[in-house]
Parts: sequence; C-alpha cells; structure tokens
Amino acid sequence: MTLKRKILLGLVTGFVAIQFIQPAHNKSDKMLPTDIINVVTVPNQVLNLLKNSCYDCHSNNTLYSWYSFVQPGAWWMASHIRKGKGNLNFSDFGTYSNRKQQSKLQAIANSINDNTMPLGSYILLHKNARLSAENKEVLLDWVKATKDNLSQKNELQ
Amino acid sequence: MKKIILSIAVLTTLLAACNNSSSDKKEKNTDTIQPATMPVDTTKQIAVNTGTKSTVSITDILSSYLKMKNAFSKDNDKDAATAGNELVKLFTNFNKTALTANQAKIYDDITDDAKEHAEHIGSNGGNIKHQREHFDMLSKDIYQLVKTFGGGQKLYYDHCPMYNDGKGANWISETKDIANPYLGKSMPTCGTVKEELK
Repeated sequence: MTLKRKILLGLVTGFVAIQFIQPAHNKSDKMLPTDIINVVTVPNQVLNLLKNSCYDCHSNNTLYSWYSFVQPGAWWMASHIRKGKGNLNFSDFGTYSNRKQQSKLQAIANSINDNTMPLGSYILLHKNARLSAENKEVLLDWVKATKDNLSQKNELQ
Repeated sequence: MKKIILSIAVLTTLLAACNNSSSDKKEKNTDTIQPATMPVDTTKQIAVNTGTKSTVSITDILSSYLKMKNAFSKDNDKDAATAGNELVKLFTNFNKTALTANQAKIYDDITDDAKEHAEHIGSNGGNIKHQREHFDMLSKDIYQLVKTFGGGQKLYYDHCPMYNDGKGANWISETKDIANPYLGKSMPTCGTVKEELK
C-alpha cells in the first residue's frame, strides 16, 4: 500500500470512527415552570417566531436536522447550543431576576436591530429561520411591551 | 497502518471527551428584589475592612466604571474592555461583610446583572457598538448601586437623548461638563445633567 492510500484509509476510518461519538442531545419533554411562556405573556405569533429562529440554541429543545448527526458537525452544533443557552435560555427565563429579564429582553432587541441574531451560519442552514422586516417588528413590539410590563411590576412590588 | 488508525481513534476520543462536558449554567433562582428607596450610605463602613482579604468597595467599582465611561467618550474600545474585565473582578471580590442581609441581597441582584454586562464589554474590544449597548444597561445598574449604597463623591446622572434611535440613554459622570460616552467624539457635548447625586 502506498503512503497516500494509507493516509486516505486512515482519514476515512477516522471519519467513520467519530460518527459513533455523538454528543448528548439537547432535548427535553418537560415543560418547566420557569419557561418564558409561564412567566410573561407570549402571543402565539411571537412564540412561533421564537421557536423557529431562536429555540434551537436558546432553549432546552433543539430540533435536530440530518446534518446534526454527522460528525464533526454535531460537536460544532453542541458547542453553539452550550454557548447560546449560557447567554439566554428561554426555558429558564423564570430563574432570572426581574432586572435580568429586562436586560435579556433589551439584548434580544439589540441583536435583532444589529442583525447579529440569528447567526449567519445558522440561517445558511435554516433558511426559514431568517427574520423578515415584519417578523422583526412583531418581536420588537413584543419585547418593548414585555419590558415595560416587567419594569412596572418591579415598581409595584 | 495500524498506528495511523490508532492515533486517529485516540485523537477523536479526546476531542469528543472535551466536547461532552456539558456545562449548562444553571442560574441560581434569585427572587426579584426591590431596590431600597432610601439611599443608605455605607461606603465608609464598606471601605473599612475587618480581617478578610477583600477590600473592594463601591468606590472602587465606581472608579472602574468611570474609567470605562471616559474610554467610551473617547471612542476607545480597548480601554473600555480593560475596565470591563476589571469590573467583573471587582463585582466578584466586593467585600459584603459590612452589609446587612437585605443589602447583600440587593447587591447580589444588581451585580448578577451588571457582571454580565461588564463581561460582554470586556470581551468585545473591537466592537464598540455592542459594547455601548451593554454600557447602556450597565449604567442603569451602577445608578441603582450608587442610589442604594452611595457613591462617596459628588456625581451627575446624565442623559443623552439621541442614542438608540432617539430612545435615549443615561450615564453617571464625575464631572458637571458633558462628555458623551454613547456618541463619543462625533457628538462629545450632547446631553444634559438629569440629576445630581449626593
């Protein structure tokens, strides 16, 4: 066997081997009492947008597509989910303090306005996650209303 | 041949091991705490340290914040990031021994949020727009901190009406003269004093 073939065979074997090492999936059937829909008012239209464009990396439930089972894609994805949930997890929204909930909502508005979220690489693979100008307006209005509500709640307490 | 396969197998196992350490940050459940309405001046008590190693006071936190504010007014993202990282450390090492249980709770509530903003500012040198978004939120937290614990010096709560597409934003300054941290050199004197603190 020539060196070239050996290397090729090695790479193929390696590729096959890593397919067996799958990261744990971000899936949960449990609806936590801390889920954002149990904490603030989330109209269906907004919820659908959040599920469609944000939940894969910012909740306890990711919708896995075919490429997420192919390594090393799955690791790459798992690291994105870990980072995303660390910054904001809609399933844990109720564990944040009122102050932090308002901050998170402001950060959502900022990233929508700056077009930093959803990530470009994510949109490339999930075409329908792209937010239209109309979608953005719906989300921004909801963010504003929710934030005002929370800040009022804080003053009343 | 075997060696190649073996080494690849070892490598991938290692990679996988590194990736699988799931570290979901479970945030501690913090009840919403209402900031005290009456400002309590504990700066002096806090600054006086009794025994423990930590000597971080509100004054130290404020001085790092003001450093950051001045960096932003000069459009200096690097210095702002340095001050951000400094603030993260100060928030963590703050000496809470002089605080009552209730005050400590308020402190934790404010800084739990403020720390995240400082972290983002610290890690986003090169992206001053994003840093300023967090500075906007951080300034609200620092204002609450000063209102609750006192700043130990004369301060001004300033308002910039133009930032954020006319939604406006506030900041705390040690000088009466306006040096706008949101618009920087493009509009250095835009803004008004909203409130004099202490």
